[in-house]
Amino acid sequence: MMNKWDIPGSVEKPTVNKDTETLRSDLLTLNMGPQHPATHGVLRVEIKTDSEVVAAAIPHLGYLHRCMEKHCENLDYRGIIPFVDRLDYLASMSMEWTYVAAVEKMLGTEVPRRAELLRIMTVELQRIASHLMAFGTYALDLGAFTPFLYAFDEREKILRLFEEVSGARLLYNYIWIGGVWNDWDDAQLTRVSEFLDAFEPETRKYHTLVSTNKIFIERTANVGVVSVQDCLDYGATGPVLRGSGFKWDLRKNQPYGLYSEFDFDVQVGDGEHGVVGDCWNRYIVRMREVGESIKIIRQVLEKLEPGSIMGKVPKIIKLPKGEVYMRQECPRGELGIHLISEGTDSKEPYRLKVKSPCFTHTSMLPLMAPGQMVADFVATIGSIDIVLGEVDR
Amino acid sequence: MSYVVPHNSVKQYFGALFDAVRTTVVGMWITFRYVWGVKTVSIEYPEVREVLPERARMRLFNDAQNCISCTQCAMACPVDCIYIASEKMPEGSEVKKTSNGQSIRLHLTQFTIDTALCCYCGLCTTVCPTECLTHSHDYEFAQYTVDGMKYDYLAPDVRAWRDRIVKT
Repeated sequence: MMNKWDIPGSVEKPTVNKDTETLRSDLLTLNMGPQHPATHGVLRVEIKTDSEVVAAAIPHLGYLHRCMEKHCENLDYRGIIPFVDRLDYLASMSMEWTYVAAVEKMLGTEVPRRAELLRIMTVELQRIASHLMAFGTYALDLGAFTPFLYAFDEREKILRLFEEVSGARLLYNYIWIGGVWNDWDDAQLTRVSEFLDAFEPETRKYHTLVSTNKIFIERTANVGVVSVQDCLDYGATGPVLRGSGFKWDLRKNQPYGLYSEFDFDVQVGDGEHGVVGDCWNRYIVRMREVGESIKIIRQVLEKLEPGSIMGKVPKIIKLPKGEVYMRQECPRGELGIHLISEGTDSKEPYRLKVKSPCFTHTSMLPLMAPGQMVADFVATIGSIDIVLGEVDR
Repeated sequence: MSYVVPHNSVKQYFGALFDAVRTTVVGMWITFRYVWGVKTVSIEYPEVREVLPERARMRLFNDAQNCISCTQCAMACPVDCIYIASEKMPEGSEVKKTSNGQSIRLHLTQFTIDTALCCYCGLCTTVCPTECLTHSHDYEFAQYTVDGMKYDYLAPDVRAWRDRIVKT
């Protein structure tokens, strides 16, 4: 018989009573998901529970696998953009920009300044929308329903702006190779400015409602702690890495686009409640990043000048032989696109590999889970904020 | 990592309890203020409809009279949901013109879009040289069978629902 504590990563066997030691007690296998409301999509985690305590957690992936990488090998470079939209469907703009930047780097396209600024603005608006979604669903996981509605109220305004400018609410196909599809007119830019003015008091409301709530702090502080070393070993990026206190943001450390012109701070978990690297710090990093995004968008609105929004791109895109790896800071971490081209006689990429931050974070669950209560495990899954479309691709 | 709330003294215990009640009441006050003076954002859908933005990408519509059968839309489509067939015009027939002056050299025999496959990315509408293929504002086209989602834009009844779905 397999010893129940033989599972890798499980906690050490506690010695309580010599008489009960000899009795057989199996771990209970519990399937969380794929239809569990607290797993954010179709994640299935097989957890071994010892009464209320999680001894081990094994994530099972593949419920949303759409064979996107292979499919892209048979598509032209413009046709891939709707497919990269569907990676992280809560932050499609960031996905598009990473892919498009990879193609542009190989093609050597010069993007007009207005298009670059509009890209930064849409991506930062998208980051706000994505973090609002993370905030709302995280509060929902922990039993608070109202913040979810407030977050969606504000997110809806951003999506409405995106719908007006691109035509779709979620899968935009807005950032194109060489520039952006449509221009924002002055009325829409004014609405962005008005939205930001109205949104800043709203963020303070969120902090009053959730961040400073004693019950919320007790639920999240000291729960699901990951050390910086573990984060670096696993390759965690984004708010998970910054929540552990490591100051790393590609927008600051390796600026792409026009980010080097902008003035903003990199938020790291400071351990105001709990210890650095726990759920509360990961949560608060996201909430503070919303404020930084507001700062960036305000600067974009000041810098915007009329001009062209589309660079010179051939009608049929054929990339030279070679490969490129492009990574950018998306709301959930660093997305990497590895693009290999066979040569100029092919309209399709030879290979498109996506390095997904959510996949890395999901693989950290077996590290975080052992020793937690089941309810705390739900809080841990919520705090790493995964989107399964990106994990499975 | 275990769930232990430090309560070293009775004072600390009741302090934590008081904090929990106080912060919750502060939060509830925010929620309570929504009783008055906050405009309802939800709309009662079938009775009240939202006006879609001008660029909204809903069901595709092809104005077959202006189509020159160039098949650029079918080539641009990433999911291959547009089926086009055409044949040569019979000898000696008069050359028709599209609304923007291009001459129609091929006789369109089939133009079908499988809306069940369509991903509404809008790439086909951007390549159309005569701008006859457009996204309409019609989003209510559920069908009982998948076959019913294939829309033939040369069908005789296309005029009947054209007025409903074409952007004005």
